[in-house]
Amino acid sequence: MSVLSVQDLEVYYKTDRGVAQAVRGASFEVPEGQVVGVVGESGCGKTTLARAIIGVMPKTARIAGGRLMFQGVDLLGLSPREMASRRWRDIAFIPQSAMNSLDPVYRVGTQMAEVLVERGGMDKRAARRRAAELFDMVGLDPGRLRDFPHQYSGGMRQRAAIALALALEPRLVIADEPVTALDVIIQRQVLDTFKELQGRLGLSVILITHDISVVAYASDRVVVMYAGEVIESGATAEVLGRPFHPYTMGLCKAFPELHGGGGTLVPIEGSPPDLIAPPEGCSFADRCPFVEPECRTARPPLVDVASGSLAACRRTSEAEELRVLAGEAGTWLRS
Amino acid sequence: MAPLVVASGLEKHFPVTRRLGEVLRGERPVSRAVDGIDLTIGEGETVGLLGESGCGKTTTGRLLLKLTRPTAGTIRFDGGDLADLAGAALKRFRREVQLVFQNPFDAINPRFTVFRALREPLQNAGVPKEEHPERMRVAMHRVRLPDVEGYYDRYPHQLSGGQLQRVVLARALVLEPRFIVADEPVSMLDVSVRAGILNVMRDVHATMGLTAVYISHDFALVRYVCARTVVMYLGKMVEDGPSAEVVARPLHPYTRALVQAVPVPRVDQSREPLPIKGSLSAAQAQVGGCRFRDRCPYAFARCADEEPPMREVAPGHRAACHLL
Repeated sequence: MSVLSVQDLEVYYKTDRGVAQAVRGASFEVPEGQVVGVVGESGCGKTTLARAIIGVMPKTARIAGGRLMFQGVDLLGLSPREMASRRWRDIAFIPQSAMNSLDPVYRVGTQMAEVLVERGGMDKRAARRRAAELFDMVGLDPGRLRDFPHQYSGGMRQRAAIALALALEPRLVIADEPVTALDVIIQRQVLDTFKELQGRLGLSVILITHDISVVAYASDRVVVMYAGEVIESGATAEVLGRPFHPYTMGLCKAFPELHGGGGTLVPIEGSPPDLIAPPEGCSFADRCPFVEPECRTARPPLVDVASGSLAACRRTSEAEELRVLAGEAGTWLRS
Repeated sequence: MAPLVVASGLEKHFPVTRRLGEVLRGERPVSRAVDGIDLTIGEGETVGLLGESGCGKTTTGRLLLKLTRPTAGTIRFDGGDLADLAGAALKRFRREVQLVFQNPFDAINPRFTVFRALREPLQNAGVPKEEHPERMRVAMHRVRLPDVEGYYDRYPHQLSGGQLQRVVLARALVLEPRFIVADEPVSMLDVSVRAGILNVMRDVHATMGLTAVYISHDFALVRYVCARTVVMYLGKMVEDGPSAEVVARPLHPYTRALVQAVPVPRVDQSREPLPIKGSLSAAQAQVGGCRFRDRCPYAFARCADEEPPMREVAPGHRAACHLL
């Protein structure tokens, strides 16, 4: 059972230069109780996607199509008020920098209590008790509820943001780069806490990140985005272990391995297409070492591939050979 | 390997805001950003300075380039004390060392074309005009932007992040420096273009025999580019050794935790809990003894009383821990 089904989502932004197609027909499922990692580089549409789901978009953005089915209801059909009532209660958000979601002039406890009272309908005493319980749950000393946000370290702030997101027991949590700003040890500790809670509470999570290692560590399924499209999705072990899209193949080889081996890193030359005038064909064609003339004529749809994943590439039947070639840095070099 | 850079007893303290009581008592509290570093870098060596934010790695890099004055200790470059450099000698030093910035978008004047950005250091150093074209061409080839003419007339905003970072690197190389310090050179770039820059940096060392210090929080990156890794914690070196050894056989408990914490892009990875407690910010107040003791699972009485010195455990592999 899926908690959320993203179907052909299209989100456009008005810009000075024209309309930018930030998300172009993205589709994927978030199964109950699983962590879905959405991975991609800057400008691939992953944050826009997250914002569309929680219904917080800048004025210049427009949902141009698609559906967001959440528990049988299309979130895109809800009025702003209905959507607001679902936020925190059904769908909660953890931002990259919790400093942006915590108000610097109020004590953290006051802000937690406000969410619990205003949105959760608790009385003040119950709210205070619940806030302490939540802090305890995310590994923070409840005594620190009396502190102001600036008195917290980065890791503590992210923990507080997690506590706030979990306050009203939402079904779905959307975390946008929740550990990116943290040092590696703190990053790992916060991820471990989050994963433990996710498992214990059976939460469904969309984890948005640029870091394929974070996805590998923490998610059950992965959705790879490129130029506003989902170009590959499936079980994490399959997508990272046996990628079918050349972009995913390159991405998996673009990170240095701590324990060595892996040889020379693969550079993906060039840059993503301009989303104001996206190409007619495959959006990765200009950077793809395996491009064929037909790739440029029509956008390849997401198709089922051998591993049980979905991939948007015309040459998925040759993936085995392409994977070998993609592992050699020379393949990716421009002559 | 002849030593090129020798830092001894290096310290850099920054004043911090005083509380009323401290003002009244005439105390001047400081933040000990760098607190006793002894580091010898051989000619042609690539050293990664690895650590979390606030460990003093960037300050160390700035000290090595004489961009800030040490509170205590000395740095010798090619035998000469940096503190004594002035006039022509200082000018020569400035030609021989270069800094590569973290954010390529800030590093180059947005109103300068690539041509002007590359020419500027040559002009400042007084390189004869007839040498400029050849030097610039060589530098652009080194960073794998061989289509020189295609780039010279472009402005930074017309380049991708990866191309721009290559130009920044070319600008640092155009004077054929002997020593460069690169501070998080790829952290602002997307993953797919990062690899290209890292490969260029590896090539540059191989072909130019350049001595380099890379400052990074990314262990895997340091391992990829640098033959030697120096791990810093709260202004101190805690481990120093060949990169492959430091990863495979980390000696210091902090390094061990780091190795374990680095996520890898594979599903079959260790999910063991980390052998470390607390966070850096909580540990900052400590003076004397081992800086890491509050977070260390093996800490014992001696760790609080006595500061562990760097001890050589295997050839070229040193660490500062009482348990070694």
